[in-house]
Amino acid sequence: MAKSLNALRHLARAIIVAVLVLWSPVAALAVVSIVATTTDLKSLAEAVGGGRVSVVALVPPNTDAEEYQPRPHDLNRLKDARLVLRVGVDYDLWLDRLVQQSGNRAIARGGPGYVDCSFGIALLDVRGVQVGPAGGHAHGSGNPHYWLDPVNAEMMTAVILEALVRNDAPNAKYYETQRARFLERLAERVRQWEKTLAVVHGKPLLAYHNTWAYFARRFRLNFVGYIEPRPGLPPRPSQLAALIRVVQSQRVSVIVRQPHEPAASVDFLSAKTGARVVILASSVGAVSAASEYVGLLDYNVRTLAAAFREGL
Amino acid sequence: MSDALALLWLPFVLSIVLVAIHTFLGLQVLARNVVFVDLALAQIAALGATVAFMLGHPVSSSGSYAYSLAFTLAAAVVLASTRSWSQRVPQEALVGVIYVVAAAAAFLVVEKAPQGTEHIKQLLTGNILTTGAHDLAFVTPLYALVGCGLWAARARLARSGEGSSKWLWDFFFYACFGVVVTSSVALAGVLLVFSFLIIPAAIGMLYADGVRRLFIGWAVGVLASCVGLTASYVWDLPTGSTMVCTFGATLAIAGIVWPLRSRDTAAIVARGARVGVALALAASAAWIAIAPREDQPLLDALELVSPVVREMYLSRNEMQIYTDADEYAQRYSREADRLNDKEAQSRWQGEPLSDSDVRRISSFLQSYNEMRRGEEFVKREVRARARTRVRWVLGAVLLVAACAVFPWRLLNIPVDGARRPLRVRPQAAPSDS
Repeated sequence: MAKSLNALRHLARAIIVAVLVLWSPVAALAVVSIVATTTDLKSLAEAVGGGRVSVVALVPPNTDAEEYQPRPHDLNRLKDARLVLRVGVDYDLWLDRLVQQSGNRAIARGGPGYVDCSFGIALLDVRGVQVGPAGGHAHGSGNPHYWLDPVNAEMMTAVILEALVRNDAPNAKYYETQRARFLERLAERVRQWEKTLAVVHGKPLLAYHNTWAYFARRFRLNFVGYIEPRPGLPPRPSQLAALIRVVQSQRVSVIVRQPHEPAASVDFLSAKTGARVVILASSVGAVSAASEYVGLLDYNVRTLAAAFREGL
Repeated sequence: MSDALALLWLPFVLSIVLVAIHTFLGLQVLARNVVFVDLALAQIAALGATVAFMLGHPVSSSGSYAYSLAFTLAAAVVLASTRSWSQRVPQEALVGVIYVVAAAAAFLVVEKAPQGTEHIKQLLTGNILTTGAHDLAFVTPLYALVGCGLWAARARLARSGEGSSKWLWDFFFYACFGVVVTSSVALAGVLLVFSFLIIPAAIGMLYADGVRRLFIGWAVGVLASCVGLTASYVWDLPTGSTMVCTFGATLAIAGIVWPLRSRDTAAIVARGARVGVALALAASAAWIAIAPREDQPLLDALELVSPVVREMYLSRNEMQIYTDADEYAQRYSREADRLNDKEAQSRWQGEPLSDSDVRRISSFLQSYNEMRRGEEFVKREVRARARTRVRWVLGAVLLVAACAVFPWRLLNIPVDGARRPLRVRPQAAPSDS
């Protein structure tokens, strides 16, 4: 009897130990759920968070994030999120109302889970402080496409890291190593990309939308103009005439368009002037080759350089 | 000038082709009382193209066109079958339902491929300015064929027969119409195609009968297209919208000229116009007296047209402040532009700017913008104060102007036959006059 009781005690102890042993990795695996507005931020958050975060992007690739219409499921995603990452700079203005509606105070403006990734970025094309269209440019508080400068990823991942550490302190070391490793890999690629794009240096380019300011600054590219006078408006006749003159007088040989941007006026200019149309992606997932952040920049660099090498 | 010609001759030729076929179709559409059928068919075609896109056919391929056509023909079957389906519900209601359901369904289908949203927008907005010669080479023979077919069948189409032959001719009409609208909308966009379809035909119907309606419609349509394209170039406005507004203005002019053809109705129009102007002046007089600091649409418009009006009520000192503020505002925005250009240049030329330089430029830009807004505020405030000061005088002037314009004879009740009584309702019975 005593022997069987003893055996039972052993069994109980074994079960407790087993449960503890099994439980600890579960505790470690309790991942931080993050909602990012764009796929680019998602990719950067995954680079820092590694296996300890699960990230959802709200805006699908190849959609204009500025005109995104939230879906019912987005509310559920925000309700359960511990962090929300946004581009800021008036790029994803719709997020504020969505967060408010979700009732999740932690991720509201000023909350511990609220991350504006434009923090600390040196903004370009600043025209004013008002929200909404102004002076031929919807980006009243600066050009929002700052993630296209790979060096800005340093600041962006720093902001993400800080928020992750604030919300998941036990894993701080892990996140720091992840980020350092990512930045090391990125820095190496940036050196390569600068070399690859030396072919394009100073060559005049035309783009459909003013997406490429930061990309141009980093890689010393010369965008001489934009086809779209204001977001969502096709160019007017005199503008189109002026663009044709610009393309011819400055010998622009490449016009840049994104996959989701309208082809009509780009193709028209290309047909009139013989300039080549190149499709570049401004966000992760816009083309299949750009499946994550480094891949996105790599695709753009290679495509642009190839267009010029072919043209020579 | 050669720039303008090189850019505008293709859109103009396309406009002529579109006016030619759409005026003809528009007369039929107005006769059938299905004004919005082109929107419904265009949307159905867009739905077909979207489905094709989802099935892997590239945009503007023959596969995509085939799907558009199949969807449009299906819609033509529905429209032909329901022309006299019920005496209780007008067919226009069904046309509207087809439009909204097709639009919603296209967005549902395209939900799976986000870049398709832009594709749908493209199908509906079009851009006549970027038409290529190959577009013209495709639609011209197609429209000529459809036009000849409809012309040959015009007697049958007009006859209100019964039974299956009537159904067949209705189907023939909607099918032809669908083919034309599908192609036109992709080139010129929904709004412009609607204008091409309805406005010249409506003006033709207003002024003539029989085949002359068609000629009047063509002449008016070509003229309006020419004016619209020129206006768009000269004043640098979006082409499609400018053309639609030109067509609208043409209809308005035609509508105003129509009653002026007889002297009695002309008198009524003139009196109505005077009453309208007088009321607007009187309302402005009251508004400036009540709320001189608010927007004054009439006064603002006058000042925009001739700034002299502003000088009349601003004192010398106020005028000085106003012009100074204006100059400073312009200077700040020039400075901001200069800084922006400099930064953009530095992206690829000379020494690259450091992040802190870029930040410094940004804060300068923001300050310039704030200062510019400050100057704008000064301008508004000076003007508002001056208006408050002179509100009674301005109000009185406007009121006097209103009194001068108002046709007082309207209120005169004829006493002892000294004045000729006004005929108040000659329009209701034109046969009397």
